[in-house]
Amino acid sequence: MSELYRFPLKQCIGKPSVAVVKCGDSVKRGELIAAQPEDGLGANIFSSVSGKVESVNEEEIGILPDEKQSADFVKLKKRKPLELIKEAGLVGLGGAGFPTYAKFSKPFEKEGTVVINAAECEPILSHNIERIEKHPEQLLRGLEIAMEVSGAKDGVIAIKEYHTEAINALKKILGNYKNMRIVPLMDMYPMGEERAIIREVFGEVLPVTALPLEANAIVINAETACRIQEAIDLKKPLIDKDMTVGGKIKGNLQDKLIQIFMDVPLGTPVETMFERAGGVNPDCGELIMGGPFTGKRTTMQDVVVKTTGGLIAAECFPKGPEKIGLLVCACGANKERMQQLAESLGSKVVGVECCKQAKEVKGSLKCENPGRCPGQVQKVMALKKAGAQAVLIGNCTDCSNTVMSCAPKMGLPVYHCTDGALRAVNHKIVRAIKK
Amino acid sequence: MSITNETLQQHLKDPAIFCCRREKGLVISAADLEDPGLFDDMVEAGLLTLSPDGLRIEQVLGSTLLTDVEALTPITRDVLDKVNETEEAPKAAPAETKAPKSAAAPKVKTTVGGNGMIHIEIDKADKIEGLRLDVPVGAVNGTVCAEGVPAEAGVAAVAQPTGEKKVIRTLLKKHIKITDVEIGNETSLKNGKLTIDKKLTDKAVLEDALCKSLELDVIYPDKRHIYTETIMDVCPIATKVEGELGEGVTKVLDGVVFMLTGVDEDGVQVHEFGSSEGYLDEKMYFGHPGCADENDIIIRCHAVIERLTGMTRPGPFAAHKCQDYIIQAIREVLKNYEGEVVREEVCEDVRRAGNPRVVLVKEIMGQGAMHDNVICPTEPCGILGGQKNVDCGNVPIMLTPNQVRDGSIHALTCIGPATKEMTRHYIREPLVEGLAADTELDLIGVVCVGSPQVNDEKLWVSERLGFLLESLDIDGCIITTEGFGNNHIDFVQHIGQAGKRDIPVVGVSFCAYQGQLVVGNKYATAMVEENMDKGGFENNVAGCSCVTKEVAARAIQMLKNKMAGVEIKPAEKKWNNDVINANNKLLGLPETVLLDNGTLH
Repeated sequence: MSELYRFPLKQCIGKPSVAVVKCGDSVKRGELIAAQPEDGLGANIFSSVSGKVESVNEEEIGILPDEKQSADFVKLKKRKPLELIKEAGLVGLGGAGFPTYAKFSKPFEKEGTVVINAAECEPILSHNIERIEKHPEQLLRGLEIAMEVSGAKDGVIAIKEYHTEAINALKKILGNYKNMRIVPLMDMYPMGEERAIIREVFGEVLPVTALPLEANAIVINAETACRIQEAIDLKKPLIDKDMTVGGKIKGNLQDKLIQIFMDVPLGTPVETMFERAGGVNPDCGELIMGGPFTGKRTTMQDVVVKTTGGLIAAECFPKGPEKIGLLVCACGANKERMQQLAESLGSKVVGVECCKQAKEVKGSLKCENPGRCPGQVQKVMALKKAGAQAVLIGNCTDCSNTVMSCAPKMGLPVYHCTDGALRAVNHKIVRAIKK
Repeated sequence: MSITNETLQQHLKDPAIFCCRREKGLVISAADLEDPGLFDDMVEAGLLTLSPDGLRIEQVLGSTLLTDVEALTPITRDVLDKVNETEEAPKAAPAETKAPKSAAAPKVKTTVGGNGMIHIEIDKADKIEGLRLDVPVGAVNGTVCAEGVPAEAGVAAVAQPTGEKKVIRTLLKKHIKITDVEIGNETSLKNGKLTIDKKLTDKAVLEDALCKSLELDVIYPDKRHIYTETIMDVCPIATKVEGELGEGVTKVLDGVVFMLTGVDEDGVQVHEFGSSEGYLDEKMYFGHPGCADENDIIIRCHAVIERLTGMTRPGPFAAHKCQDYIIQAIREVLKNYEGEVVREEVCEDVRRAGNPRVVLVKEIMGQGAMHDNVICPTEPCGILGGQKNVDCGNVPIMLTPNQVRDGSIHALTCIGPATKEMTRHYIREPLVEGLAADTELDLIGVVCVGSPQVNDEKLWVSERLGFLLESLDIDGCIITTEGFGNNHIDFVQHIGQAGKRDIPVVGVSFCAYQGQLVVGNKYATAMVEENMDKGGFENNVAGCSCVTKEVAARAIQMLKNKMAGVEIKPAEKKWNNDVINANNKLLGLPETVLLDNGTLH
């Protein structure tokens, strides 16, 4: 190990963490290096390696790891479960990065439900399901703790119905736990959206401004639940992350295009991860951190953070039309990301429309009824009127299907924000729904 | 992205497309080519336009690029230093391209190759009818069909037609000519003229309390530009004079049919939401099996049923029941009428042991309300004495071909008149006629299976059908359905039930544009399209898109091909009538001309 491990101070929703180490310090794996700010939302950050602090600035802490590393770690000190969750620096690992302790800060007054979001909704990403298949007991124990901490009466595991192996693994041991059940989800994007999960589990569509608490529920990602188990039972801080690495991997072998890496130390450079996967083809289009729908462009110099779920080397960009229109949706890429993609297509953005179900809440878009299309013809027509020769969309399965039923008929080719990632692994692209 | 050598081997005949921009001097290999599995979606999205000049993968491997080429662009001869000459480089467009719009150039390719196979390709519409036949030469017992050869010649005979005909029962249908109809003061048949007692309606309406009034009038063939309320049924006048349904002697009146129309007391059409009210000459596909023929005199029986009962089970049934009272009065007279017999139709239930055993499965409506059928009434096309298939739990019921041809099914059809089979359809069902007459097959029977409303019940019924088919030990079956959408769920399940038992199966349905299959399975590979609407819609023209002679001929041929074990090419993505016509042409059938009813978008 010779490359620098870097730990950005802002890895979750809330304020940046405060560095508690200085240059030259020796740190052990599992040792606190940046603390949750005292005056607000945030999370502790721990070193995932043993080594020497090389740099500390306002952005990040750099640590040069020792030659020899072990899987051992410095244990957490607190005793009570909720305190351990907070101490461990746990945040939502599905990508949003909301500090976990904050979700559990107020116990249910009566009959609440903890819902494990095991939808793993983004295409290509498959590390959640892999962990469930291998360690179903870890997930259920994590859920048990979460129920205890929140005073929930019921526990639900929401998982896509086609993951039969994972479901069977859970079912085998489900009887050992109390008041837990599995809710199967359809294989559609965005079934894993928090309010979509609530709708599927409770049959209730929450307003965009509501948190799951209004349905007497707390929703946590599957890996988050597993890391809760580690924090409580093993006193392990959040230092390792599961992820899927894929895309245009050298050698061009189909079974290497999507690979899963478990317990990757935080701070690992992106380049290192792609190298571990076999290296990236020189003619790739862009690197994405996250899933095809909601991931962001990244570089080889970036590092793995708490919310890193995927690293994808996408297909190169085709040459787009001169003028393009954007149809922004709450469930996919945001406007800035879409503009970035349009630029890569070599197209000028002449119009931006927003799906009519997408409502702005605290600076980001939320869909009023995820995965149930409100109709897109009007929006596509507006883009055509604005002079677009093609549309770039980021919509969910159902809405993309709607766009496909009208845009090509108006002579507008349809590009999708997920094309590069999906083509890179030779998966079907998101267009018309076909059964 | 680029494909592996393994994938490449499976796609040698597919179009060669670069996944990324490639520059001059490149020697083309698998690593440069996009996965052909993604082409369909890309073409549909407008990102990729396949060209007839585009080369296939096998033609470009190892060639050097002479100029820079953009991603997702077909590779053509002019950008390469050389093109690999491959064995059977056909000049025709590759199968993935859209079929030409002109009917003059149907995409039918027939080659007798050196590999001992006769290769025939026929492309067809959305999830419907795709054929790629490779018939082993020598294994075919019969004439090989090339373009334009009449259907009787057959593309592939299925087995040695050793099947000797054994007659189980015979039915004689005596067709008696009617030249005039009048509403008068008595019910009588004299010299080809039918007179109906106008007072009959008063008694008929008492048959069911939900029927509030009944009215008869006569519509002559030249007076059809007349407004009509929604058409609930077209029903022939036929009666038994000897034996039970399916055997003995039946008298049928030719040149006249009953047409049942209905509204409720508020004037709401019985088939509100998909009704066919309007000018009669525009609302019925005259000449189709379920409809009146060109020169038929139509006796319109118009029923007014109780308020708000139009979408319930008892309401529409009351109208049928009361009409049947009137028809029964005519039947009684007909029994003793010795009029001019214009045609004697001999129908036989036969066994042809040694021939492939086949059944025809007809999925009929069974969802209650107006979706029902009366099975095996006492009189042909009657009501009395029959059982409703909804009451029977929609379970499969076996009828003999003769029973169907003798009016064993009285249809209580519903919304979506273009795609529903009316009572007259069954008494002259082209598939029953075609299969029964086919000397290469052994038609075991006709299975009628209802289509329940609820998905769980659909599955339950479908499973029963599966075990029935298994126990019949058949070599093949054709499954038809009426309507589209909801009933396609069981339709496809039925196909699956046959398919998983390795029974070759052909599906027949209206799909086209509006009725595209919402579900599918791997066995739904041999499908025949019934649509005759220009836009591919349910156009509310009664009887428009149902089983016709042409549909039946294509279905039977496809079943024979499937039983012969020949490969069937996957259907094209979109419904395209040109492809249907290419099939018609191959079988020597007349062109399927689509009805322009303003549905083309």
